[in-house]
Amino acid sequence: MNINYSVIAVSLFMAGATVFAEESKPALSLKGFGTLGASGMDNDSLKFRRDIKQERGVNSGWGIDTDSRLGLQVDADFDNAWHATMQWVARNYTGDFVEQNLDWAFLRWRPRDDLDIRAGRMGFDVFMLSEYRDVGYAYPWIRPPHEFYAGLPVYHFDGMDIAQKFAVGEGQLTVKVFGGYSFNQVPIGLSDQADQSYTLAGVKLAYEQGNWNARIGYNYSLNNLELSTLHPLMNALNDPALGAVWPDASTLAGKMSSKDKAVHFSSIGLAYDDGQWLAQAEGSYIHSELDVYRSVASGYLSLGRRVGKVTLYTLLGISETLNDRTNVSTPLAPIPALLELRNATDLALNTNGIDEKSVSLGLRWDVTENVDLKAQWSHYWLGNNGNALWLRPPTGAVADTVNVWSVGMDFIF
Amino acid sequence: MKTFLIALLLACVPAVRAEILVIGHVKNNIENLTAKQVQDIYLGRGRVLPNGKFALPLDQPSPLRTEFYEKLTGRPVEQINAYWARIMFTGQASPPQQLPSDEVVMQTVRENEGAIGYINKTSVDKTVRILLELD
Repeated sequence: MNINYSVIAVSLFMAGATVFAEESKPALSLKGFGTLGASGMDNDSLKFRRDIKQERGVNSGWGIDTDSRLGLQVDADFDNAWHATMQWVARNYTGDFVEQNLDWAFLRWRPRDDLDIRAGRMGFDVFMLSEYRDVGYAYPWIRPPHEFYAGLPVYHFDGMDIAQKFAVGEGQLTVKVFGGYSFNQVPIGLSDQADQSYTLAGVKLAYEQGNWNARIGYNYSLNNLELSTLHPLMNALNDPALGAVWPDASTLAGKMSSKDKAVHFSSIGLAYDDGQWLAQAEGSYIHSELDVYRSVASGYLSLGRRVGKVTLYTLLGISETLNDRTNVSTPLAPIPALLELRNATDLALNTNGIDEKSVSLGLRWDVTENVDLKAQWSHYWLGNNGNALWLRPPTGAVADTVNVWSVGMDFIF
Repeated sequence: MKTFLIALLLACVPAVRAEILVIGHVKNNIENLTAKQVQDIYLGRGRVLPNGKFALPLDQPSPLRTEFYEKLTGRPVEQINAYWARIMFTGQASPPQQLPSDEVVMQTVRENEGAIGYINKTSVDKTVRILLELD
């Protein structure tokens, strides 16, 4: 049923295109963006990935999957008020290649110059960069700050948004509210994947004035599904026969549950760019009611300096899980099968922490008007049970400090 | 010697750049536009001209484009493109339409009351209205 939302989104786009095509010839345009990137690290005990929607990471063997992508966008202008946009991005992510990579397909109505109403599929506008994470040409770094953006597997949702602009002082204030559904396929472990579905709603206030950009936002996201990969484990724990030998079993199954539990995202961001100096910082607190996805506080700060066509930048990032570990009691009867079940429960509940800090240095060189080259070195510190953003083996020790090197070329056309 | 001095002087002066004129339709009833008004229209922040008509901003290829944005915003054209990449690929607005030359821009401005374009000062004639001079 979830696929239907994207069908609705595309239908809206097509309906708009057809209705208006009969009246007047819409102005169609095809545009695109892309990145060709390669990255690698100095360690093989875990794998680096751009975000938790990726199931293939890189280690010392290097790879081009992490950052390479190609986006295509079709815009249709019907008249001064009606517009449609469709954007699809080829990238190596988990899930259906066609449906999951369709990030935008909406119809926009602009009854007044300062009011936008859109319906269909839209980017998930929760942090400053979350709507254009794929457009490398639009930001200085090789990829969005890892601690802040890697934990966000949601790229789009199907629904509606309304944005109203106000002239405030010398600048412009935008107030946007949005709501809808999002269907996501995410990787679980190294070889599995699971479906996720959320009902979500959000609000953001953005203020733009001269060299400054400020943003504050809140988003609510309610889980509609259990993680399918945890079904066998939850069923085993819910077995009534288990109650006598392990009284906590059904409580632990409840903790593993995602359905009808919500995640609250609060964030604040500030960016400055005067043409020579650039600075950007964001902070967020994600409050989660789920035990399999922990509450986390994150932030980053970046400073950059442009010298001619070259931008040098540094980036500091931090992300810390705030909840305590879930205490998984020991079954009363020391039967091997029960202990195995206990360990699986412990792994499911207690290996999703994030304790990550990093420092990066990099440069962007604008080679032509629409092509740039980038290089970035990042050093990561990963705390105990703090590497949930990375791909790790199910058991065994992994490195706590690693270096990641990346080079890339971004282009727009 | 005198010729040499003049040559030296010319060499020291940064490359003399053409003045750019922002132009509109002769009947648009707009005396002139401020740099901020032109900026808002070319950066997609505003879509309506002071006379209430929808603005149809027109772009040109570089090098004129590079120079226009540098004079208008003080920023290199790559930054303007990065800005538009963000606006365009998040479905907010579309960048100005790019036309090939001063002649085509002038022709389009003559035909559309909401059109606004920029051209080299040397190309201007009485068929269009000058809204802003950039130098």
